[in-house]
Amino acid sequence: MTLAADDRRLNDLPRAEQTAVERRDRMFGWLIASPSLGLLFLVILFPVFWALYTSVHDYTLIAPNFDTFNGIDNYTKALGDPEFRHTLWLTAFFVAAVVLLEFALGFLVALMLNSVERFKAIYYAILLCPLLMNPVIVGLIWRMFLHPSLGIVNYLLSLVGIDPVNWLGSTKVALWTIVMVDIWHQVSFMIVLLLAGLSALPREPYEAARVDGASALRSFWHITVPLMLPVIAVTLLIRLIFAVKTYDLVYIMTRGGPGVATDLVSYFIYRTAFVGLNIGEASAMSAILLAVIMGLTVWLHRYMRSLT
Amino acid sequence: MKRIAARVLPHIILCAFSLLILMPLLWILRVSFTDRLTAYKIPPEIGTVGLMNYVEIFARYPFTGWFLNSLIIALGATAIALPLATALAYAFARFNTGGTFLRLGVLASQMLPPIILVLPLFGMFLFAGLMQSHVGLIIAHLTISLPFLSWMLVSFFEGDVARLEEAARVDGATRWQAFRYIAVPVAAPGILAAGLLGFILSWNEFLFALVLSGPSSQTLPVGLAALETHAGVEIAPLAAATVVSLVPVFALLPFLRKHLIKGLSLGALK
Repeated sequence: MTLAADDRRLNDLPRAEQTAVERRDRMFGWLIASPSLGLLFLVILFPVFWALYTSVHDYTLIAPNFDTFNGIDNYTKALGDPEFRHTLWLTAFFVAAVVLLEFALGFLVALMLNSVERFKAIYYAILLCPLLMNPVIVGLIWRMFLHPSLGIVNYLLSLVGIDPVNWLGSTKVALWTIVMVDIWHQVSFMIVLLLAGLSALPREPYEAARVDGASALRSFWHITVPLMLPVIAVTLLIRLIFAVKTYDLVYIMTRGGPGVATDLVSYFIYRTAFVGLNIGEASAMSAILLAVIMGLTVWLHRYMRSLT
Repeated sequence: MKRIAARVLPHIILCAFSLLILMPLLWILRVSFTDRLTAYKIPPEIGTVGLMNYVEIFARYPFTGWFLNSLIIALGATAIALPLATALAYAFARFNTGGTFLRLGVLASQMLPPIILVLPLFGMFLFAGLMQSHVGLIIAHLTISLPFLSWMLVSFFEGDVARLEEAARVDGATRWQAFRYIAVPVAAPGILAAGLLGFILSWNEFLFALVLSGPSSQTLPVGLAALETHAGVEIAPLAAATVVSLVPVFALLPFLRKHLIKGLSLGALK
């Protein structure tokens, strides 16, 4: 992104000097970028290549060496494993549930916040609280609240005549419990970003619509939604990518259980590596996850560029 | 009638929502001041109220050690990442170094699930003797804070500051001087806020700390997670520990409110 002022100055110079200045600027850019890039290479790119290299070897924590090359064996084994396939479906379901529910609730709250003046600062301060909280702490406190006999949630439900629910111990309920806790923790992410988008919308289309006698619902569908689409797309995609990484809540609240009811992909890979001791196969699963995340990131990057 | 309803309805929804967010936090605060037996009572009772849980977590558990480890590692990772990320962000903003490809690479690094990196880091640290060390954890946390900060800081160098640099360049400042003495001071408040967010990311990190730390380098989240298992569900001390570990994050909140949106949206929104 060369600067307008830069270009003007450059245009006054003769051609040869122009390219010399440009080249010096480019050199300077690479020079100050290099320490960061070097470190990123060491701590991210190199480990990713290490993982890819491991994924085509028979590397276990019992025999941690690269002696046996086994091609795509780890990949075929992983993809043929019904547990891994279950884990992928479960993660897709979990991600879809949290993203859609958090978006629906978040958009509603953001619209309400955008429509009020009084107490807005107070509401906003409150909803920021969970956002910066440690997921480990969120998991721990909700585990306390949701304890079948000692938890406050079941007690409150009993006051209105609802039987105790086994929130984390029942295969039918556990995943939805994690979804609910994740909503409590992360819905504010949606609210904050959607509200930022809403408050930046232009006023004129709404005034024109009011003059034409359009109802609030009509101006929502025909003005707010279309204008908000880029912001919504970016918000949903960022949240989606982060939801795929969900690990802490599952580790703290259920350890993937009961059975495999909440065995999200990050936790499953962790188990394969550090309980099953099979780093090679875990790396192959990582590589599959990596491909999915990279695809989503390229998509996100495109939307982000259209926004700015 | 309809107009009044339209004005009250948002407040009803917002109040209900705020209560749902706030109640669990207030309840934890309340539990942290009750004695350990009262904490379990259902229906809830008001028992003795006091600071005993706060005293206990420091006296009976290695809480101070966890707190210090978290602090050292988060400060270390942020202190290394912040200057490096500032320079990279400036190169992106001013010279478009590496073009779209490199930017996409940095964004992708930030989106990488930690589980993908923790396996190779585990292998590499075993090889290099960095397991269970503070240095190892700082390196691991750099994989989160360095891409995050580089990406977030780009927007602070776009816009008016370029014009100031141009004026200084005309007066004979070198590229480095324009960066060091104009761009960085002008962007300093944003850089600082980004640094605080980077600190919080590191402070809250769990998976790397879980796999790569040892008894002497355990961080707060790992300690808390273990506290819960080895002492049964000791909810009163746990509530106190929760409150204490939330203090630094909430203390920083007012300083980064202004830049929070930029941080959360990865710079896409202001």
